[in-house]
Amino acid sequence: MASPQEDGNIGPMIRLTGIEKSFGGTKALSGVSLTVERGSVHGLVGQNGAGKSTLIKLLAGLLRADAGQIEIDGVVHDHLTPHAVDALGIHFIHQDRLLVPTFTVGESLFLGREPRIAGTPFLDRRKMQRRAAEVLDRYFGLRLPTSTLIAELSTAEKQIVQITRALLHAPKVLVFDEPTAALVRREADMLFRLIRRLRDDRITVIYISHYLGEIEDLCDTVTVLRNGRDVATKPVAETSATEIAGLMVNREIGELYPKRTAALGATLLRVEGLSTPGRYEDVSFALRRGEVLGLTGLLGSGVKDLVRTLFGLEQPASGRVEVDGKTVWTKTPAQAARRRLALVPEDRRRHGVALDLSVAENVTLASLDRFTRFGLLNGGAETAEANQLIDRLQIKTDGSDALVRTLSGGNQQKVAIAKWLSRHSEIYLLDEPTVGVDVGAKVEIYQLIADLAARGAGVIVLSSDLPELLGITDRILVLFRGRIAAALDTSETSVDAVLADVTGSSEALRHVG
Amino acid sequence: MTLVSNVSHSQSHHGLLRRFARYALVVALVAVFAAFSAAAPSFLTVANLQSILVNNFTLLAIVSVAMTFAVAAGGIDLSVGTAIDFSSFTFVSLVLAGQPVPLAALAGIGGGALVGGFNAVLISGIGISPFLATLGTLFIGRSAQQILTNGGNPVYLPPAGIPESFRFLGRGVVAGVPVPLIAAGLVIAVAAIVLTKSRFGRVVTATGIEANVVRYSGIALKAHVAVTYLLVSVIAAIAGLVLTSTVTVYIPSSGNAFLLNAIGATFIGTTLSPHGRPNIAGTVLGVLLLSIVSNGLLLTGLNFYWQQVGTGLLIFVVLAISFANRKAVARA
Repeated sequence: MASPQEDGNIGPMIRLTGIEKSFGGTKALSGVSLTVERGSVHGLVGQNGAGKSTLIKLLAGLLRADAGQIEIDGVVHDHLTPHAVDALGIHFIHQDRLLVPTFTVGESLFLGREPRIAGTPFLDRRKMQRRAAEVLDRYFGLRLPTSTLIAELSTAEKQIVQITRALLHAPKVLVFDEPTAALVRREADMLFRLIRRLRDDRITVIYISHYLGEIEDLCDTVTVLRNGRDVATKPVAETSATEIAGLMVNREIGELYPKRTAALGATLLRVEGLSTPGRYEDVSFALRRGEVLGLTGLLGSGVKDLVRTLFGLEQPASGRVEVDGKTVWTKTPAQAARRRLALVPEDRRRHGVALDLSVAENVTLASLDRFTRFGLLNGGAETAEANQLIDRLQIKTDGSDALVRTLSGGNQQKVAIAKWLSRHSEIYLLDEPTVGVDVGAKVEIYQLIADLAARGAGVIVLSSDLPELLGITDRILVLFRGRIAAALDTSETSVDAVLADVTGSSEALRHVG
Repeated sequence: MTLVSNVSHSQSHHGLLRRFARYALVVALVAVFAAFSAAAPSFLTVANLQSILVNNFTLLAIVSVAMTFAVAAGGIDLSVGTAIDFSSFTFVSLVLAGQPVPLAALAGIGGGALVGGFNAVLISGIGISPFLATLGTLFIGRSAQQILTNGGNPVYLPPAGIPESFRFLGRGVVAGVPVPLIAAGLVIAVAAIVLTKSRFGRVVTATGIEANVVRYSGIALKAHVAVTYLLVSVIAAIAGLVLTSTVTVYIPSSGNAFLLNAIGATFIGTTLSPHGRPNIAGTVLGVLLLSIVSNGLLLTGLNFYWQQVGTGLLIFVVLAISFANRKAVARA
């Protein structure tokens, strides 16, 4: 659908063809093609692991494709570097993209491209000041003193600085990567207005988001990625959030998940009216013995904060938590662990396991008291415990004294779980337990979760992988913007229904309807 | 990852490097020892070897053991000298005031522990980084001593007034072994057991490797860090007692003389150890290495002022060995 454009250029702004990329043995992208028309807003959606971020890193010159062709503005580029991409006028806006916190707004805006006073090596601060003010006023109607430190800015303001930095250098393409994830409604609305302005100025936009409602509102075209392939590219006018959601998920997984036979027992954990303003509000639910409860929501929906609060890493402003019918106040992880709570955190390599400790040292780290007598550790008992758990969880390792660093991601995750089995925990909080884990280990972890429930433990699985949640849980709680948007019985729901609640499109549809 | 996947291809080569890594410190020690024996005839004599152990090794070993705990927990303690001084000042002052020596010694350890307690509040309570917190303590401690001693006057014990038990601590000999050396041996032995075999030592080691994981494992991280800095100062205080009873005088801020060597010995020991973890055996070998180098350089007739060049070169050599070693292992 390449048609001559008003400004005379012909053909698409960006054309990726047959892009392939593998990491180790894992194929992240297997033949992705993507065509982005000049001056359009192009949506890119897909579940976690679909290949979005890999694709964007390739375009940014941070990774190199194994096969395929990248064509920008009609020119084929074989060796893209971040510097070259910048020079081509392609800019990336990402909330995690680093701005140096101790720089001022002015320094950040012109970093690496500081205007000089003609003929001297000195920076032209006046010119910097003036140009920054122009852009900020034109696009944002906003005055942001250029002397303010980045560290003092809100997330939205940092994003404005990133966007402004891009706009100062006559951009051709802006890539927004989950831009609204950390924004409140009002800030998001401002961003949408800005993106429409950019389209009016004939700047091409690639817009990556989980929020299907935003894609519908904002984009001209949408491309859906799934398992490293582009499964569809459609004009937004001819599709719907429901259809996009259907394209995003893989419906053919079934055998991955173990049969569940656990009978539900007494209530183990009860959460009532838990609130921390700005994070989550009035959250109530109960978890019974033998139950696997799914918990899901977008970044910023409050699910992470909720789990952190239950494990004593954050304090709620109000509300109550009961374990075994007794109200508990877990101010620290140590107190939470004493109440038989266990957290297997998402960031396995920083929070879950110590890579440079041995398997045995990691396995017993949460249960050292059991192996201690008069302050001294019983090394033999520790090794025996480690070996028993290595056996039970099928952890592939050279031995209990091997460093955890030498294990694969899936086996590291099993060590992070084994730590709590050794502690005899009863309430398991698993945060994205299968992220970065290969399929084989995934199946084993699902089986392990089913076994835990069968033995009378309660398991809460926080996951953004919806088919996974539908496969292994009894119930699913969906948080949207800090509140429980839906409590669903897993046997009576579907990926589409959960996704609608997760992305708030059921709410949006209701609103429109 | 490459290390693991390629093990089968180069088992023997790899094993050899491993073994070398394990004994690098001992090899270095033997090499330095042999070099000085050849260069200085007076080096390899019973009298000199004894002098190395008593004069160079004892105090530095105790202070370095203290430092090892801080480094093992992922931090550092720049105020070990302050703990030595506070212990020393309290000890001397109380003996001078006629208090019984055991009581004065106990109070000395309490004086040193005060420094550790202060560090613990700064690091665990307020959350200041160990480097900055203990640097602050170092400065404050220096001023405090100036104030306590009217601008830095030493506190002497008059030779006539020195109690017998005090003299025994510094100059006594049991079964042919000087008492300070026995004290150092005890500290080393207990510290080695605590760091490798105790629950506390495990938590300290894990904290140094990944403090977040310790906290996420339901362990009271802050309490353990606080106890660690308290322990560091208590061990340094023991060094303060030994120092004072040997020289029978308290000189303000003299404890800081051990700081850099203690850091050096600890890092030499850590760097040349198989797993790269701070450990007592490595630290003690590091202290021996430094002691032998400074004693040997003196005996070869090198100008005293050049001695620190020797220490500096030694640290470079250690780094080079460890770097080459790691690269070779990575390539294997």
